[in-house]
Amino acid sequence: MVFVSQLLGSLGRLALVLVEEVGEMGLLAKRTGGQVFRMRADSVAVQMIRFGIRAIPIVTLVNLFVGMIVAVSMSEMLRTLGVINWTSRVVAVSITRELAPLMTAIVMSGFAGAAIAAEIATMTVNEEILALQVGALSPVRLLVLPRMIGVCMMMMCLTLIAMVMGMFGGWIVGTLLLDIGSPTYIEGNNDAVKWADIPKGLIKAFAFGMIVTLVACRQGFRAEGGALGVGRATTAAVVISICLIIFANLCFAILFNWTLAGP
Amino acid sequence: MSDDPHNVAGFFSSRSGAQALPPQADPAHTAYLPPTSTQVVVQTENLIKRFGDKTVLNGINLTIRRGETVVIMGASGCGKSTLLRCLLGAHRPDEGNIRLFGQDIWALNQPEMDSVRKRFGTLFQSGALFSSMTVGENVALPLKEHTDLSQDMIDLMVKVKLELVGLREAEDLLPSQISGGMAKRAGLARAIALDPELLFYDEPTSGLDPIMTGIIDGLIMDLARTMNVTSIVVTHDLKSAFRVADRMVVLNEGRVVAEGMPHEIKGHPDPFVRRFIQGPIEAKTAIYPKSALDKGSGH
Repeated sequence: MVFVSQLLGSLGRLALVLVEEVGEMGLLAKRTGGQVFRMRADSVAVQMIRFGIRAIPIVTLVNLFVGMIVAVSMSEMLRTLGVINWTSRVVAVSITRELAPLMTAIVMSGFAGAAIAAEIATMTVNEEILALQVGALSPVRLLVLPRMIGVCMMMMCLTLIAMVMGMFGGWIVGTLLLDIGSPTYIEGNNDAVKWADIPKGLIKAFAFGMIVTLVACRQGFRAEGGALGVGRATTAAVVISICLIIFANLCFAILFNWTLAGP
Repeated sequence: MSDDPHNVAGFFSSRSGAQALPPQADPAHTAYLPPTSTQVVVQTENLIKRFGDKTVLNGINLTIRRGETVVIMGASGCGKSTLLRCLLGAHRPDEGNIRLFGQDIWALNQPEMDSVRKRFGTLFQSGALFSSMTVGENVALPLKEHTDLSQDMIDLMVKVKLELVGLREAEDLLPSQISGGMAKRAGLARAIALDPELLFYDEPTSGLDPIMTGIIDGLIMDLARTMNVTSIVVTHDLKSAFRVADRMVVLNEGRVVAEGMPHEIKGHPDPFVRRFIQGPIEAKTAIYPKSALDKGSGH
């Protein structure tokens, strides 16, 4: 009984943290949106290179393996049902609709989110953020805005790469291990992929990019207590952003599959 | 304009306030008479700041006039850093108000507050240089953001400000590549980039060797004299404090316990002020209870 009450208490606290986080993120997003017309293109470009171009290898690798894992995992069931050729369809649908945006976002929460949180937290504990504020320089405009725009733009590009690499991973397993002919695999893949899935995936990628950046910046700004505070902020940024990304993915799944899918 | 070739601040200062300067010929600070301006630059009225149950500032009343160098002193934890942050607009006081240049800063909206903030500069304890930028870029940032100067003019201004603090050669270095003393001087160059009327110094000499302390003190005094800058120095470095101060304020437990000219503070009758100034050795009694010491002496 005690264990159950402790568990419920922990879940309640986690829920409160997430609700508070969403509220604070909303405020930060509003302040960031208010500065969007004062954006400096060179700052955004720097962040796109830093968090986009440099993330291509890891996103490529992760999604290649994810495509391969889905193909291997589904193959036994599909073989039992006598539709092994459908491996390409299963891989294509799962990758384009769910896994590519989700896995890319999770990778980016570690790659970009952790870096942004650590950077801003270090600036906070070193009084650099205070120096900006008392110098009449907006940390939101100078730090949050370029990172948010840069990460969101690159998240969409990386998600496209992830989709291609995931399907390529499935093709490798399908043609080399499952003895599906390459033309058959590609035909099934192309039949399964709906063009409408691509923009849906990109919308998700943009939203996930916002979550990663806003959570990281907020955790960075609230850091205190030296190196320990920087570590806490970084961990919190990754954990909270992954939780929010998965929750947001559920919301998108309901929206796209039930609400907007029509009869 | 000054004829003194070492007086770089006076030579390059573009602010009109620099024309109404106190005498500069005598380099000895003791010969310099404090300004007699009646224009109030900083004023606090019954300032109270609490963190939870702890009252850190308990009714601070300060009036600082144009051109003054006021040193705020006190033991660690007495509230001087909190007072500085309140003056900077970083902490909102629970009671009382703060006026900078005659304006209640907590009654201002963001653009108005930004206008006030452009009129003052701050040297932070660590320098607070932006670590991703070079020293030159740090100094250039306020000029880029708050002025319409061309890039060539900004580059020139950066060189001038760095020359002023003796860091001309460090323009292209990152903050991680310079020493603590250089970081403070670079922070000072950034703080004076916009030729502020008011400068806040947070522990400007802490952690520095005596030579570097002397250089920083010299810069504070030079800026006050040549640019007629009002300076507020928060420190517990007594030697430095007595060297730069026109007036001193001593805080204890969130209250002003003494205020006056340096010689008045030296002879102040308040027991805390006397202990603070004289710094008697009393570590044992501070760390160990008296009973424990008595017991120990019995053996």
